[in-house]
Amino acid sequence: MSNATATAKSGSTDNTSVLLLLLKLRTFIALIVVTLFFALMAPNFVSVANAIIISKHVAINAILAIGITYVILTGGIDLSVGSIVGLTGMVAGGLLAHGLQLPMLGIIIYPNVLEVVCIALLVGTAIGAINGLLVTKLGVAPFIATLGTLYVARGAALLLSGGATFSNLVGKEELGNQGYPIIGSGNVLGIPVSIVILVVLALVAAYVAQRTPFGRKVYAVGGNERAAALSGVRVDRIKIAVYMISGFCAAVVGLIVSSQLVASHPASGETFELNAIAAAVLGGTSLSGGRGLIGGTIIGAFVIGVLSDGLVMMGVSEFWQMVIKGLVIIAAVVLDQLQRRLAASNG
Amino acid sequence: MKFARTIAALALGAMASVSMAFPAAAQDLIVIITPSHDNPFFKAEAEGAKARAEELGYTTQVYSHDDDANKQNELIDSAIAAGAKAIILDNAGADASVAAVQKAKDAGIPSFLIDREINATGVAVAQIVSNNYQGATLGAEAFVEAMGETGNYVELVGKESDTNAGIRSAGYHDVIDQYPDMVMVAQQSANWSQTEAFTKMESILQANPDIKGVIAGNDTMAMGALAALEAAGRNDVIVVGFDGSNDVRDAILAGKVHATVLQPAYRQAQWAVELADKYLKEGSTGMDEKISMDCVLIDESNAGDLETFALAD
Repeated sequence: MSNATATAKSGSTDNTSVLLLLLKLRTFIALIVVTLFFALMAPNFVSVANAIIISKHVAINAILAIGITYVILTGGIDLSVGSIVGLTGMVAGGLLAHGLQLPMLGIIIYPNVLEVVCIALLVGTAIGAINGLLVTKLGVAPFIATLGTLYVARGAALLLSGGATFSNLVGKEELGNQGYPIIGSGNVLGIPVSIVILVVLALVAAYVAQRTPFGRKVYAVGGNERAAALSGVRVDRIKIAVYMISGFCAAVVGLIVSSQLVASHPASGETFELNAIAAAVLGGTSLSGGRGLIGGTIIGAFVIGVLSDGLVMMGVSEFWQMVIKGLVIIAAVVLDQLQRRLAASNG
Repeated sequence: MKFARTIAALALGAMASVSMAFPAAAQDLIVIITPSHDNPFFKAEAEGAKARAEELGYTTQVYSHDDDANKQNELIDSAIAAGAKAIILDNAGADASVAAVQKAKDAGIPSFLIDREINATGVAVAQIVSNNYQGATLGAEAFVEAMGETGNYVELVGKESDTNAGIRSAGYHDVIDQYPDMVMVAQQSANWSQTEAFTKMESILQANPDIKGVIAGNDTMAMGALAALEAAGRNDVIVVGFDGSNDVRDAILAGKVHATVLQPAYRQAQWAVELADKYLKEGSTGMDEKISMDCVLIDESNAGDLETFALAD
């Protein structure tokens, strides 16, 4: 489609426009290439069961990346998501294992699983709101504001248990808080719950970004903040909202990770933020804001996920896995630059 | 009259608070530095050392270097500045820690190393290390026996930059490789992490569904692998860990994990403090610098006696 329009504009740059189309689809092509590669090289790679396992692993990164994509679209960045994963997992684990302790009243309340989930999601969203307020009302650069909350949230996660793990989070019948492992290991019609959550969140996020006034404002703020403000967009509100979305997504991941392990570990989620940013960038989201698609981010997360799972299945050493992942990210950004230059020169 | 009494009370109070403040400062300080307490093993070490030091009348400061040699270096600077009498250290790297321990020695502060060695002698006063190799052979022997000396297995290795990850892996293989029917179908580093062990184990299970056992370089990875096996409905796989954590103890008692190897972390840290006390009072520990503590196999027969890295007598 875009090939045809480009050709109509100028017939002489036919080759360039084909190249441009290929560059536009680069993440998708990369996904096909790595999938084909592992289909040939890794034992038992092609199977429904493995596709489900890979999707389950991707879900963790992709859900974080959805939130981060919103933040990056406004021209911000959120480094705190990995720590929010750890903290919300610890909040959920602590409530399940030890309840809500109110020493003043001398009572312990054990919330049920649904309440635990809601509290954890609230905590994540609230930290997102703090990030947003720091960035807008106090004018702290997003990198620094979220770096600060990265440390605060990680420290808080460690403080909750004195560094210990809350383990065996299956709940007790007499306390009415059973069922937590369903989030991480349950199935809906044979599909793991975490994948269902990813699909729902991705569809909602893509719809909101593309089809709602809020979504258009997010792009407007990232494209040209001043112009957006002058045309009546309440920039601060949009920014606070995207950090809240990111915090919410991180809390969802915190619940999934701790539920999968049936244990909450305070160091859980370390460096997750970097994988999520990598997925967004791989998917074509511009770090300077205003450009990117949720769909691209999801494909980017799949490229990273297929790559790391495939390399494990091939038995490649951890060290090479890191090198290869890094090279793929660099290649993605180089191709992105190439596409932009070509597009600019192609008119 | 009433006024005078108030003044007198205030003055007495002030004197009391001043005299309260001094004895603490006059007590000798022992600084305890370990890796991050988010691993219960290191927390047990720190608590063991702190408890023993306070019993012996010392004040303590407990820090964590988070396996960052640079942070460890700064903490040792702080210990020197605080006038510590001794340092109990679980170090951040066999080579990267030598200079920092030397610096403490030059400042006249003896260091007592636990859990991990440094690649130098004559710098620390004592290095008490669990015999990781001996422990690994114990774990491997139990693993081989449970596997019936045959079958496919997976090894999850610790952080590859950590000396103990390599020593344990070597100990495992020196035993297992004697049995030609034991076939390692996958070996991956999960960096001591439960989350990483979980995802990697899920992928490995896809590539190699026909495995019979998993041997892990520590207990957190064993727990991650166990969660992945349970999610896949594989309750038949034999799992062996290393460390002797309470989580794995409970899993052994529930019949989910076959065995683990206890490093006596709590006792080891206490012993280091006792040696420090003796050295400070008598000028010598009366022992060689390098001291090795044997590990103990934990299986269903003795798991019930295990609590926070200490085995009840």
